[in-house]
Amino acid sequence: MGNEHILSSFDDDLNKLNKDLLKLAKLATEQFVSSIDNFSTQNIEEIDKLILRDKNLDDLDEKIQQLGFEIIALRSPQAEDLRRVISALKISTVLERIGDYSRNISNRTKALCELSSDDIPGVNIGKMGLVTQEMLEDVIIAYKDKDSDLSIKVRDTDVVIDKMNTKLYQEVLASMSRNKKNIVSGTHILFIAKSIERVGDYVTDIAEQNYFLINGKPLSEERPKADKTSLYGID
Amino acid sequence: MVSNSNINNVKTKTIGEIFSKDPKIICRNVDVFYGEKQAIKDVSIDIASREIISFIGPSGCGKSTFLRCLNRMNDTIDTCKVKGSISLDKEDIYDEKIDVVTLRAKIGMVFQKPNPFPKSIYENVAYGPKIHGLSSSKEELDFIVENSLKDSGLWEEVKDRLQSPGTGLSGGQQQRLCIARAIAVSPEIILMDEPCSALDPIATAKIEELINQLGKNYSIVIVTHSMQQAARISQRTAYFHLGELIEVGETKKIFTMPKDKQTEAYISGRIG
Repeated sequence: MGNEHILSSFDDDLNKLNKDLLKLAKLATEQFVSSIDNFSTQNIEEIDKLILRDKNLDDLDEKIQQLGFEIIALRSPQAEDLRRVISALKISTVLERIGDYSRNISNRTKALCELSSDDIPGVNIGKMGLVTQEMLEDVIIAYKDKDSDLSIKVRDTDVVIDKMNTKLYQEVLASMSRNKKNIVSGTHILFIAKSIERVGDYVTDIAEQNYFLINGKPLSEERPKADKTSLYGID
Repeated sequence: MVSNSNINNVKTKTIGEIFSKDPKIICRNVDVFYGEKQAIKDVSIDIASREIISFIGPSGCGKSTFLRCLNRMNDTIDTCKVKGSISLDKEDIYDEKIDVVTLRAKIGMVFQKPNPFPKSIYENVAYGPKIHGLSSSKEELDFIVENSLKDSGLWEEVKDRLQSPGTGLSGGQQQRLCIARAIAVSPEIILMDEPCSALDPIATAKIEELINQLGKNYSIVIVTHSMQQAARISQRTAYFHLGELIEVGETKKIFTMPKDKQTEAYISGRIG
């Protein structure tokens, strides 16, 4: 079958939607990677720039939502076209939220910059960030290439993030128990780790949306989970 | 009489579920020729009791030709030849013993352009029951006319001017008059060939609402070029292309996840 619509302006709209979504994906990835880098480098100037850039993601998400609504109202998309538009709207919202979490990480990193490094628990946020970054990059490739298998692989990788978060949670709590000076910084770090874990969850949402877009049915199998932090302290 | 055996053993290239649990009409391996040209190729499908099914497809795909086979309207075309079997309640409608006039009362038809008789509103509806001997008194005939006009949603608009000419009504009202005329003879099935293509959106909405209501009592087969109309009113949709029945299935499946690439190309407005 020819892949073009008889009405070429319909293709123009869908292509624009796709182009804007990939642009938002690129911006969200850059923001997330920068937020993890800034945690290591503690460069206040870069952190402030990142926080200001978040508005670009908000604006682009709003533009995508508007275009998606217009396509539904004016073009009445069917079958894969409909799934593509609905998926774009959902993924756009998720990418905008990843931007928000990157900003949250940066706000807390900025707070940590004010504290003495002696009072900050030494934990491996960078590694957790790197695994999440790879998931995010892979899920965007899966979207671009309509790769169902890669989408499933990304979704199943989230369990690694959950395990890292649980381990980090235990380490930070132990550190705070040992040294009360670590409580303020430790709390910030717990929230940073939780933000990364939430980004991982959002990436799995995109992976599941990809699967639905490609196959026309939800990825219904139970997703593996290993975030045990909410059960901490319960025997 | 069509035997029960082999009814569900038919070989078909059609994708999807051609069978129904409660079939009213059963079509098997139907071919239609106009002279040498084959317009319908090996189509098999059931039409269930009280279901609304849409036939969609590009112009010239054979959907109207196939629709007209269901009440032998193609008999009026000399060069037209129908092969295969079509049965209504397991009785072969192409059997030589079948009275075509009675058959067309059982399987009524509404056309693209409203075509009321050049008679009064009352006579338009009363004509069928009169010639089929469905009423024995004036009171009974009045009752049929009133009920048919009520069922077609036209009664409130015309009850005070039943003797006015049917041709004086608006396009949408004329089409509802034609539907009243079709249901006045107590059909079991109503065939509709693009019944809204000459109507504005309001008249279209009224006809669609009427089709939804009528679907509770009749089987309705509707040919439409409006994908949205098919999506709005039918429970099943059948996609025809170049004389073949490509795919048939639940309307919500056909419009969200069709199995066939040609169906997807057509419903999403792509070059097939």
